[in-house]
Amino acid sequence: MSELIIVVEHVYKSFGHVKAVVDFSMEVAPGEVVVIIGPSGGGKSTLLRCVNNLEPIDRGRIIVDGVSVTDAPNINEIRAEIGMVFQLFNLFPHLRALENITLAQRIVRKRSQEEAEAIAREQLAKVGIPEKWDSYPSQLSGGQQQRVAIARALAMNPKIMLFDEPTSALDPEMIKGVLDVMLDLAKEGMTMVVVSHEMGFVKAAADRVIIMDYGSIVEEDTPEELFTAPKEERTRQFLSQILH
Amino acid sequence: MTAEAEKLRRGRALPISIPWERIPWWVVILSIVGITIGWSVLTSEAYLNVIRFVMGGVRLTLHVTFISFAIALVVGLIFGLMRVTKNPVLYAVSTLYVEVMRGIPLLVIILYMGYVITPMIRDATGGRIDLQGVPAAVLGIAICYGAYLAEVYRSGIQSIERGQMEAARSLGMSYIQAMRHVILPQAIRRILPPLGNDFIAMLKDSSLIAVIALPDLLQMGRLYVSRTFRAFEGYNTVALLYLVLTLLLSLLVRTVERRTAIE
Repeated sequence: MSELIIVVEHVYKSFGHVKAVVDFSMEVAPGEVVVIIGPSGGGKSTLLRCVNNLEPIDRGRIIVDGVSVTDAPNINEIRAEIGMVFQLFNLFPHLRALENITLAQRIVRKRSQEEAEAIAREQLAKVGIPEKWDSYPSQLSGGQQQRVAIARALAMNPKIMLFDEPTSALDPEMIKGVLDVMLDLAKEGMTMVVVSHEMGFVKAAADRVIIMDYGSIVEEDTPEELFTAPKEERTRQFLSQILH
Repeated sequence: MTAEAEKLRRGRALPISIPWERIPWWVVILSIVGITIGWSVLTSEAYLNVIRFVMGGVRLTLHVTFISFAIALVVGLIFGLMRVTKNPVLYAVSTLYVEVMRGIPLLVIILYMGYVITPMIRDATGGRIDLQGVPAAVLGIAICYGAYLAEVYRSGIQSIERGQMEAARSLGMSYIQAMRHVILPQAIRRILPPLGNDFIAMLKDSSLIAVIALPDLLQMGRLYVSRTFRAFEGYNTVALLYLVLTLLLSLLVRTVERRTAIE
C-alpha cells in the first residue's frame, strides 16, 4: 500500500456529556474514496470536521499528508490542502460566484487576480455552470450553490476533499447534478471522504464504506461485501432502513 | 383570473398606474410642513436674525458629530472585535470598557473630560498636550459612543451564521482574514440601521458639549436668547435646525444602506 494520506488514530471528541466520537481509527490511501454512513447523531459530521481541525479533538491523533493536524504549527496551511463541502453550502452571500471562488485563492494561495479568475472560470465550467459566474448565491438554486461551493474548494487544488452530507439539503431534482460532479472527481482520482446516504453514489464510487454509530465504527468493508453480506446485526438493521 | 385579464381590468380602471403604496408618505407630509414653516421663518426678520446668529453653531455641531462618529466607528470596531474573541484578557478589557462607559451619562463624561482629564493631561505633559475645547468634547463623545457601537458591532458579528467562519477557515484563511473578508463585510451591512440610529442620536447628544462652553448650535441659541430675551424664536429655530440636520443624516444613512445592499 502506498503512503497513507489520512491517518486517524484513537480519536475521542465530546461535547459536554455527549460523546460524539469514541476511539475512532481509520486510514485513507491517496485516491481512495471512503464513504461514511450511519444513523444521524452517530458522529459522522463531527469526525469529518475533526479531520481539518474545525473541531479540535479531545484525545488521539490525526495525521494528514504526514503532518499532525492537532499540533501543526500552521493549521491554515494544512486546511488549504483539504477542501470541504458543507451540507448548507456556506457560500459567502455578499460575493458573486466568481468572487466566492477567487477570494481564498488570492489571500491564502497568493495568486494574482487574473490567475485566480482563470482558475475560477475553469472550475465553474467543470461543475457545469460557467454562465453563473456573476450571480450572487441568493440568485442560484441549491444545486447550483453546492456546485459553486465544490468549485470554490477545488480551486485551492486540495489533496483531499471532505463532503459533509452535500446533497441532504437539496431538492430531489438537484441532487443528480451534484452527485455527477462528485463522481467525476472520484474518477479523476481525488481522495475523498464523504458523509452521505446517496446509495447510488456509494455503489458507483466508494472504495470503502464505514458504518458509524455512537461515535465508533460498526463495520467497514467494500460496498459489495457490506450490502450483500453484512457481518454485524447493527449494519443489517441500518441498511434495511435506508435501502427500503 | 389570468394575468392577461388582470392587466386588462387594471388598465381600464386606471390608465396610468401610480404606485401609491410605494410613495414615502412621511417625506411628503414632512416636506409640506417643512416648506410651510420654512417659508414663514425665512420671510420673518426675527427668525432670520436667529439663524444668522447660530449658523456658526451649526457648523461646530456638524464638525463635532462627524469627527466623533468617525472615531467612535473605529473604537467600536476594535472593542467589538475584542468582545467576540476567545482571548480572555482582550474580552475582559473590552467588557470593562463597555460596561463602564455605558454606565456613565454622556453629560458626566463630557464634564469629566473638560474639567478633570484635560487639566490632568495638560499638567502631566507640561502643557504640550492640551485638549481644551473641541478635542476634549470630541473624545468624550467618541469614547462614550464607542462603547455603544462596540455592542452594535458585536451583535452584528454574532448574527452571521457559524458556517461562514467555518467555510472561510476550511479554505485556509486565518481568523483575521476570515473576519476581514467574510464576516465583517456581511456584519456591517446588517448593522447599518442601528449605526445610522446612533449617528443621529450622536448629533442630538452633541448638544451636551454646551456645558463646557463650546459654541455649538444649542449654546449659540442660548446665547441669543439671553441677549435678546426672544426665547420663542430662539428655541424654535434651534429645534428646527436640529430637526433639519437629523433628517438630512437620515437620508444619508438610507442612501448608504441602499448602495451597499446585495441585490
